[in-house]
Amino acid sequence: MDALEKLENRTGADWSHLGNARHSALQEQAAITTLLENFSTADASIVVVGSLARQELTAGSDIDWTLLLDGISHPQDEKLAQDIRAVLSEANRKQPGREGVFGTPISSHDLIHHIGGQDDTNANTTRRILLLLESVAVGRPDAHSRVLNNILFRYLDEDRGLWFGSNDSKVPRFLFNDIARYWRTMAVDFAYKQRARPDGGFLLRNTKLRMSRKLLFLAGMVACFDCHTLFTSSEERQDFYREKPLEAVVSRLRSVLIQPPLEIIASSLLLYPEYDGSIRKLFTAYDGFIGMLADETLLPNGLTKRTHLDTLDVSKIEGDPTATEARDLSHRFRDAIGEIFLTPDTQLGRLTIEYGVF
Amino acid sequence: MRMIGFSSGAIAYGDFRLALDMLSGVKLACLELSALRVSELENLVEALPDLDLSGYAYISFHAPSSFSKEQEKWVSDILYSSVPEGWPIVMHPDTIHDFSHWRRFGKRLAIENMDRRKPVGRSAQELHSIFQQLPDASLCFDVGHARQCDASMTEAFLILSNLGNRLVQVHISEVNSASQHDPISHGAKLAFQQIARLIPDNIPVIVESKVSAPQIQREIQQAIESLMSRVACMA
Repeated sequence: MDALEKLENRTGADWSHLGNARHSALQEQAAITTLLENFSTADASIVVVGSLARQELTAGSDIDWTLLLDGISHPQDEKLAQDIRAVLSEANRKQPGREGVFGTPISSHDLIHHIGGQDDTNANTTRRILLLLESVAVGRPDAHSRVLNNILFRYLDEDRGLWFGSNDSKVPRFLFNDIARYWRTMAVDFAYKQRARPDGGFLLRNTKLRMSRKLLFLAGMVACFDCHTLFTSSEERQDFYREKPLEAVVSRLRSVLIQPPLEIIASSLLLYPEYDGSIRKLFTAYDGFIGMLADETLLPNGLTKRTHLDTLDVSKIEGDPTATEARDLSHRFRDAIGEIFLTPDTQLGRLTIEYGVF
Repeated sequence: MRMIGFSSGAIAYGDFRLALDMLSGVKLACLELSALRVSELENLVEALPDLDLSGYAYISFHAPSSFSKEQEKWVSDILYSSVPEGWPIVMHPDTIHDFSHWRRFGKRLAIENMDRRKPVGRSAQELHSIFQQLPDASLCFDVGHARQCDASMTEAFLILSNLGNRLVQVHISEVNSASQHDPISHGAKLAFQQIARLIPDNIPVIVESKVSAPQIQREIQQAIESLMSRVACMA
């Protein structure tokens, strides 16, 4: 039984929308693996991100994929990506745009070497962080696995404070700061898109920002905190970090990040039964959000809730029942996070207060 | 001080006598005699009683890296009966068709972790399933292969952490993108140093870099430096 299921049983909740989305995602991952059986190699992984990788797949979800290259460059790589797109189109899968952050070949070089600085573009940061926090290889995972190890290596090797800092807390700050930066970037880009795309999509984007994007940040934060919390005593922790066991920490983070974000958070919250009320509120709100996206019942205007959220004009949000439902869910989600993570009474809360803002 | 030596195949392919000549002036503690091609096996084992190997404190034998299912029993029999008992026999796990031919070797059989061309034996997880079939076998850790599979050396760490109790020998060289064994570069040396602390000093090290006679001494030095831990390097 996974951690989310344990929490569901422990709190007496019903998170069946999450269960259904997970089931759909695993089925779809298997289907895409079969469709693209001959496309991945030891040096080229097909990687999916987004709701499919997070195991939150609903009817309107895109298939956000990328051809991740980590080896000798071949002139055929671009054609390979075009053929992947053709196969998925043929199979009626909704894909990212041709000029987008995904749906193209990308090289490991920029992901590994351009962390920070002028060459770390918005697209590069997005790819890197999503690769870390919500990616799954469909087909051969070799390149995907190598690149993840190498990215984590970069973050950890250069984190002097982690290895040699006098602070008792052992949180990989370089990695955490980049995850936090990405979360803030998403929030800023939301405002940018509001200006650049005034025709629609505001409410769906806003709801996703408040729910799935926030969840992603939370999962990244919890994964970083695991580097500190997974010890029985301060002495054990100090002993472990003393000799800079870089590969051990990479391996440890990989074993956490291989889980979908919901599972990362649930695993961490298993240790806090005294917060079960808030834990139940958090996942119930998220279950409601996934339920809204998955709901294919038509509203009186002939649209599903998802399409309605995607097309509702900003001026008509006030008083709209679907918009109100989405906002209420996001407020419950926000409040539950505050109750669990913004308290000095738990290790998780203390780390959030110490690292989360300053 | 580490025990270190060369692979005969790395410096002279199947010509083991030439390899011994090339190494005679270097005075190394270890040697690996290799019959990488199955056609070389009979010649090498027949010559063993006549070779002067008295200068070596440690000798291993590299089994052929490819043979057919029909040849497997013959290869296994000849290795079992002709290779001295004290010598580890290094084996590529992807060559094995039928594990039952190899269980009798017990810890004499040293399973080598593979480069990324191979379908098995590349990671700790893949090696674990091999050792389930060969529960008493040892490990020959190829640090170049491990780096080629994962340059962050996390997989190397996992192999040594999880299977270090089986470790009997190390192979060292730079393994390039075509899976060829090159001289150790500075970049490879830095990577190897990351995990050097996990390789006990008493584990024999065999250099597999393809080098000419004048390069042997330099390559030995590169290998020694590669297996100094970072702590030692900083001191």
